[in-house]
Amino acid sequence: MRPNKTIAHNPKPATCQNREIRSFRYRAFVPQTASPTSNLYRIEARPDGVALVLAGDWGAATHLPTTPRVVDELLGATGADASGQAVVDGRELVSAHPRVAALVYGVNQQLRKRDVALRYEGLPESVQALVTLARPAAATDTTVRRAHWLTRLGERGRMRLGSVSNTAELIGNAFAATPKLAVGRAQARWVDFMALIRETGASSLPVVTIVNLLIGAVLGFVGAVQLATFGAGLYLADLVGIAVAREMAAIMTAFIMAGRIGATFAAHLATMEANEEIDALRMIGVSPFEFLVLPRLTALTLMMPLLFLYAAALGIGGGMIVAELVLNTSPASFLGRLQDAVAVRHFVIGFIKAVCFGVLIALASCYLGMRAGRNAAEVGRAATRTVVVSIIGIIVIDAIFALCTNALGV
Amino acid sequence: MAELDASQPLPERGIAVRDLTLAYGDTVVQQELSFHVQPASIFVIMGVSGCGKSTLLRHMIDLEQAEQGDIVFDGHRLWTEDGVERAALQRRIGVLFQSTALWSSMSVGENVGLPLQLHTRLSAAEIRDQVAFKLALVGLAGQESRMPSELSGGMQKRAGLARAIALDPDYLFLDEPSAGLDPITSQRLDSLIMNLRDALQLSVIAVTHELPSIFTIADDSIYLDNESRRAIAHGDPRTLAEHAEQARVRAFLNRQPIAADDGPS
Repeated sequence: MRPNKTIAHNPKPATCQNREIRSFRYRAFVPQTASPTSNLYRIEARPDGVALVLAGDWGAATHLPTTPRVVDELLGATGADASGQAVVDGRELVSAHPRVAALVYGVNQQLRKRDVALRYEGLPESVQALVTLARPAAATDTTVRRAHWLTRLGERGRMRLGSVSNTAELIGNAFAATPKLAVGRAQARWVDFMALIRETGASSLPVVTIVNLLIGAVLGFVGAVQLATFGAGLYLADLVGIAVAREMAAIMTAFIMAGRIGATFAAHLATMEANEEIDALRMIGVSPFEFLVLPRLTALTLMMPLLFLYAAALGIGGGMIVAELVLNTSPASFLGRLQDAVAVRHFVIGFIKAVCFGVLIALASCYLGMRAGRNAAEVGRAATRTVVVSIIGIIVIDAIFALCTNALGV
Repeated sequence: MAELDASQPLPERGIAVRDLTLAYGDTVVQQELSFHVQPASIFVIMGVSGCGKSTLLRHMIDLEQAEQGDIVFDGHRLWTEDGVERAALQRRIGVLFQSTALWSSMSVGENVGLPLQLHTRLSAAEIRDQVAFKLALVGLAGQESRMPSELSGGMQKRAGLARAIALDPDYLFLDEPSAGLDPITSQRLDSLIMNLRDALQLSVIAVTHELPSIFTIADDSIYLDNESRRAIAHGDPRTLAEHAEQARVRAFLNRQPIAADDGPS
């Protein structure tokens, strides 16, 4: 059938498929600009209905006509929905590329909704086969209806309460199971425990060394400059000693462990959860808590105070080096002053804090790791959440310690 | 027979594998593999677990390079072309991985649309059209916004297949496409693969040891032996099941136990 009228398509992108039908006369005089898809299709008015003529090499095209736009033009140009039929003419196509089928499928779906029948003329068989193969979405309504805001609020509150109860359960399990580990009756492997001790302890030494030595040096330098102004350089040992022993060594070490060990624990457990390894443990009658959480909790709780003592020594060492370099205070004088100024109770407070931080990081990482969803994105999310929760928890615990020690006068 | 004589000139169409030896260090996985995949056909690589099927597939899709031998796509050598041509050849290859390997942080629509976004200049609206069509082709129309974790195993396979054909490839590689699927879903997937071969004129290379799938989809096949580390049988698996010279191949295709001293022939 020969086309009796050619209508250039509207180069402006269609914004709505249901916009009002414009007359052929109006569209024929719309000023045209070059469109990257103008050589791929055109709309023609024919006696038996409007025709979508496809042409050119669709495989080589860098841009393609989109379904909403073509449907809009088909409906708008000559009122295909009024005539009830439309034609797709593929005789001018250079190749039968699957991209053609994508457009024909989309147009077919849209026109069917408007009770417009689509007929093919000269459309390559392979394209027709592809269009036939594509199955439209089922008519059943699968959309999820949004619940009332009160229901959603209640659901969120219930979930929060659930996580509080889960946390309480985890802490309770920790108290209940620790004696089992102490007497060697926990369902944990000694070799795993020793590997965790090495991972949390010895493997953390390099980074703990660098950070705490430099923190001590920075404290020493800032203190030395200020104290020297008042001729009180001798008291640098007081400043560095108390700050490091009571606060900085424990906090900095905890931050390092949250980033290094907490994230590792969470990612490892989340991966195990994703791979159903934790379910497999349950199925053979092994408590995931005893097998996975308890060794991590114990290893970190044991190693944190030891790392604290090491970190405190290094921090004080950093301050001592600065005192020697900036104030010409000999190490012997610095240590002598330190002995007089820094009471053992400051180290005890730091030590207890370190234990608390270790418990916090271990429980947070294990809890978040085992509660992660079963996909790769959740693994990363669990690790990030662990670091964030641990850092906030460390600061909160430190603040509580500050309030308590102040109230007790220690 | 799909066997390719190394002395013959390379076929202009289809995939030619010639004198390929796959090894990890000193461990030879398979050696002296030569075969030809006809255009618009389904070629099945079969064999028992651990025989090197997936390793061969990884070499054919250029994830690994063999120490010896050639793989030639429509006359273009995979490993001797310059970088630009090699990348262009890779874009003509679609892969469905065994685990589907859908990106879990992206929706199904984004998974299928990403190759188009990266390798074409199509606009977002144009990509949406292509994605909707590819998902409809695999029977997942309207599932663009769902996350991979919300899909069943069979749907994930189909979503992976939609991603594999997103760039309208000429060659489609499938690694254990029916693994872990129930018989009905598996049969539907087999039908889909055959339909796509016919409609898109794809050369499909499937790695599998699922016998029902092998007998349903294969136009041609190769059997990789895990003892001799060679391909010991080529041809239509239905014929091989009855008439293969090698007892091991017949046993495999007829799901029969094989005696320990049974040799390759």
